[in-house]
Amino acid sequence: MKTDAAASKPNSDLGATLGFLLLRLWLVVRAVVTGIEKFAGSTTSDVAVNIDGAVNTYGLTASEGAKVYGLSHYHGVPAALYDKLKDEPFIPEAMLKAYDVVLGPALLILGITLLLGIATRISLFLMGLLYISLTVGMILLGQDSGIAWLGIHVLMVAAALFNVHHNRFEILNKF
Amino acid sequence: MKQTVTRRNFIKGSTAVGTGLILGAPSILSAAAKQAASDEIRVGFIGCGKQHEVLFNAMKNIPGLRYTAVCDIMKDRVGGAASRMKSTFKLDYIPTRYIDAEDMLTKEKDLDAVVVATPDFWHAPHTIMALEAGCHVYCEKMMSNTIDGAREMVRASERTGKLCQIGHQRRSNPRYLYALKELIQRHKICGQIVNANGQWNRAVASSRDIGGDLMNDPKKRRILPRDSVLKKYGFKDLHQFFNWRFYRDLSGGPISDLGAHQIDIFNWFFGSQPKSVMASGGRNYFKEREHFDNVMCIFEYDTPEGGARAFYQVLTTTSSGGGYFESFMGTEGTIEISERAAFTNLFRENSAPSWDPLVARGFIKKGAGTAPAAADSSAIAAYESAPPDKFMLPGDLNKPPHQPHLENFFASVRGEAKLNCDARHAFESEAPIYWVNPSALANQTITFTEEHLSV
Repeated sequence: MKTDAAASKPNSDLGATLGFLLLRLWLVVRAVVTGIEKFAGSTTSDVAVNIDGAVNTYGLTASEGAKVYGLSHYHGVPAALYDKLKDEPFIPEAMLKAYDVVLGPALLILGITLLLGIATRISLFLMGLLYISLTVGMILLGQDSGIAWLGIHVLMVAAALFNVHHNRFEILNKF
Repeated sequence: MKQTVTRRNFIKGSTAVGTGLILGAPSILSAAAKQAASDEIRVGFIGCGKQHEVLFNAMKNIPGLRYTAVCDIMKDRVGGAASRMKSTFKLDYIPTRYIDAEDMLTKEKDLDAVVVATPDFWHAPHTIMALEAGCHVYCEKMMSNTIDGAREMVRASERTGKLCQIGHQRRSNPRYLYALKELIQRHKICGQIVNANGQWNRAVASSRDIGGDLMNDPKKRRILPRDSVLKKYGFKDLHQFFNWRFYRDLSGGPISDLGAHQIDIFNWFFGSQPKSVMASGGRNYFKEREHFDNVMCIFEYDTPEGGARAFYQVLTTTSSGGGYFESFMGTEGTIEISERAAFTNLFRENSAPSWDPLVARGFIKKGAGTAPAAADSSAIAAYESAPPDKFMLPGDLNKPPHQPHLENFFASVRGEAKLNCDARHAFESEAPIYWVNPSALANQTITFTEEHLSV
């Protein structure tokens, strides 16, 4: 029979455990899917246009685009943002290049470690730092909505760290 | 004995003007002797300047061609063209290089076809030389700088029985063919076309003198033709060599260089020649040039549906005003078409029958929005018609714009197709253009007779 004392212990609260799990999964999805999208590109091919149910005889074509994934399509920082950040005196181009290379893999690695529960605290902390680093770029470009948006991400990471003691599913809980 | 045609004796011999306008099918549309499909067509090039590059880039994807010989009076261009062909196709030979076209045609006995992309005043002599040497010819438009030159080209093609395609490349463009045959002729989406409107507005920056970087650099100048070569081939000096389009003896000016493409579309789409032209022109910016930099003209047509008028303007001083397009305006709709898809739109008059069934069957696509209307209910807006709905062609061309026309030419050489713009049809369409500058110079309307427009 459950005692009052046992019921009041936070780490035995099923609701808190599930709540943390949801928060953790959201952060995982956010990081992993964003990381995968960094490898997304598109290909276009010209196909003959169908008119009145048959291929037209004039040679009219239309371009059809398809989304594809691959290493060759990798783009860490979107091209439009990259070009703007390149002109920022506070960001040396070599650093921007390195950041561009690291960003996608970093999102994927941190998302996977958080999913598997490997060093959850360190993973969350590094994820928070990553979102802060993105915030720096947004501040330099004067993108207020982006700053607020990333601020929410950091708050969610911080909330996960505050509640990490509710975590019940992890491979390595040392860190 | 082979008849030699030089520019001088060509001009002397071309004064007789034939009569008898033939608007019907041309007598020669495809090669008489069909070649084996696997046979390579041996091609020679006369003229290796900018337009040659455009044509070569459009030919690169056409299989079954053997690049045999190249010719230009500028050695550096000949070498560049031959090297480009060798490297592009990784040839195990280099096309034979010539400075003189007559020399090339005399020595290259096995040429099947010749592509002529020389200055306009050389089109007729080079085309006739090649036809008489037994070659089929693809010649850039304008057929000639003179109407008599164009007439001689038609006669030479018909006399020799060789194909002569003129480079009005829109005639093979699927978008133009579709607009004419499906939308105008079959579905009659325009209703009665009462007006055509066309323009080519080219920026002043694109209209300046060229060649200065070569002429004024002593090192680079060495690669240019010497004075004796220039004079032999009809140029007074290097400025004329590079800027022949500015001189009345060498070209027809902007109405010919740019307008010919589009006025050809008027005549093709209307299916008839105009009955008069009224033109105005002036040297409003490039005052030192012989040709007008600003020309406007109105052609009057008798079409099977009734009368129609076509307005055309060419400017070499500004690019604003919508770029270049041809617009066919009817009682039920308008087709505004251009080689650039971005300038192509269809508009349905508000009172016309619905085009939704055509959209549903894929004949046209719904465009974004309507034509601009007045922003409020002001007094001016009260006089406006309801804005027409905007539609689009269902597809585009996924090749360089000249490629389909060249494909048509080479398919015709093989006997697999009929020319889309043989010399006679091209002449019938170009003939009215030769009278624009005279009308503007005389400041009077020219009412066409058979003598004006026939071979």
